[in-house]
Amino acid sequence: MRECRVGEFFTGPTDGPRQVIILEDMWASLDGHSVLEGITFSLAEGTFLGIIGPNGAGKTTLIRVILGLVKPDRGVVRVMGLSPEELKHELHHIGYMPQQVLFDPLFPVSVYDVVMMGRTCCIGTFRFPRRADRDAVMRSIDAVGLTGLEKRPIGELSGGQQKRAFLARALCLETRILLLDEPTSGLDYEAQENFMGLLARLKAEQGLSVTFVSHDVNVLARFADEIVCINRTMHLHGKPLDVLGSERLKDVYRCEFDFLAGVGTHMDSKE
Amino acid sequence: MLAYGFAQRALVGGVLVAMVCSLISFFVVVRRLAFVGMGISHAAFGGVAIGLAAGIDPVVSAGGFCAAVALGIGWFSRRGRIHEDTVIGILFATAMALGVVLVRLAGAYNLDLMSYLFGSILALSWSDVAVIAVLSALSAAFILLFFKELLFISFDEETATASGLPVRFVYYGLLVTMALTIVISIKLVGIILVSALLVVPGAAGTQLSRNYRGVLVIALLVGVASVVLGLYLSFLWDVASGAAIVLVLFAFFLVSMALSPRRAYMQRLRRRAR
Repeated sequence: MRECRVGEFFTGPTDGPRQVIILEDMWASLDGHSVLEGITFSLAEGTFLGIIGPNGAGKTTLIRVILGLVKPDRGVVRVMGLSPEELKHELHHIGYMPQQVLFDPLFPVSVYDVVMMGRTCCIGTFRFPRRADRDAVMRSIDAVGLTGLEKRPIGELSGGQQKRAFLARALCLETRILLLDEPTSGLDYEAQENFMGLLARLKAEQGLSVTFVSHDVNVLARFADEIVCINRTMHLHGKPLDVLGSERLKDVYRCEFDFLAGVGTHMDSKE
Repeated sequence: MLAYGFAQRALVGGVLVAMVCSLISFFVVVRRLAFVGMGISHAAFGGVAIGLAAGIDPVVSAGGFCAAVALGIGWFSRRGRIHEDTVIGILFATAMALGVVLVRLAGAYNLDLMSYLFGSILALSWSDVAVIAVLSALSAAFILLFFKELLFISFDEETATASGLPVRFVYYGLLVTMALTIVISIKLVGIILVSALLVVPGAAGTQLSRNYRGVLVIALLVGVASVVLGLYLSFLWDVASGAAIVLVLFAFFLVSMALSPRRAYMQRLRRRAR
């Protein structure tokens, strides 16, 4: 098993919390169309950052820029102090959960197999999983509360259980940063609450830094330490209460938020 | 029947081809590459014709041509501007048309061509068997060495990409491996029938098992058993060996469907047995 060496990556001043993600004036485009313009924010270690924005705001592209899958046109991107090029060799510190895993429900893999996929880059090419890999997989399955279901075909699980299996897959590396792209989409209220509770607990226990993309303001208002609001450009960055209380949020979303006791409630949208 | 040299060669070559095809058929089924397989195998007709017209070994020309077509299908479909099935529809008809024209111009329209369309396993020489053995070993090596990467990419390509896997290399590698496997399978069942070998073993496996380990074992058993039984029946009844193999494959598929735990009556039986 590879050693976790996150601490070695950071350079510069050591006072105060370390910034695990830094974006400075980052511009990115897809197929020649500008998608993100002048994005600047940073994520301190151990922080839960919520990224909100309407559909098509560039949230997923932002995640892909952080992962190094989309090359920014200009600006600075640093993850754990590394450039996107350097990050390619350290991706086992990043747990990623895509928006919707569009898998075939009849795909013949068990929960255990799916979580083991997360360790593929740790195991290495031409190698079989070793004891450390198997242990890490079982620990992750246990952490998300799926013990006893590891041999079940993934397609037989409920939507909430599948999401937890994918979270376990994102956690079974030496994960320091979680990048979650609308992980609770498609879940009912109860499953969503369970998932968010689990995530908050894991973040506290393992000291994870979390970047959570969502357009559900309710969820982020309760769980995020900080919120960034984007719609192609960056509109707001701050504590949930400040961001969600801001008049400008209306402009970004083109809809009203009923702001009461720190919880934004989605009112009827005005197109 | 094994007293005959041609039967020995057919059996050795057939079992080798069946094993590689069964391995690949798992990914053909879970990644839904059945139509890609159809496209590559029909394109092989063009490759064979180029070989016949230019006077080089048709296996070599078909191998190169199929690999090129496979990469073309992959390249066009990954760029996302045209759907994969549209690309295949265009490329395979064009390759076959090219084959017909070239064969006519080279004046090579003869029995030889028919053997490529419907297979000629009973006419294998030991050097053919050697070629099959080498290409089978290469294809099987690729699948086994990159198995966990192939599985991850087939299941969830986006996360596989995000975790730094060489997704493009593995995908194109799978397509080229399919092309090489198709070329050696042509000797066995022919261009027209090769897609059965690439689909049925995996399809039967997924009917009977819900885990890839079980699917692979069943696919291998079905593939090898179909080739052996098909060859035996073709010898016994004096019918075309390729067609006999495909019909046995289909029979195995029907059995696997009937025995599938997904069927309602099988679930009732299991419940009663408990």
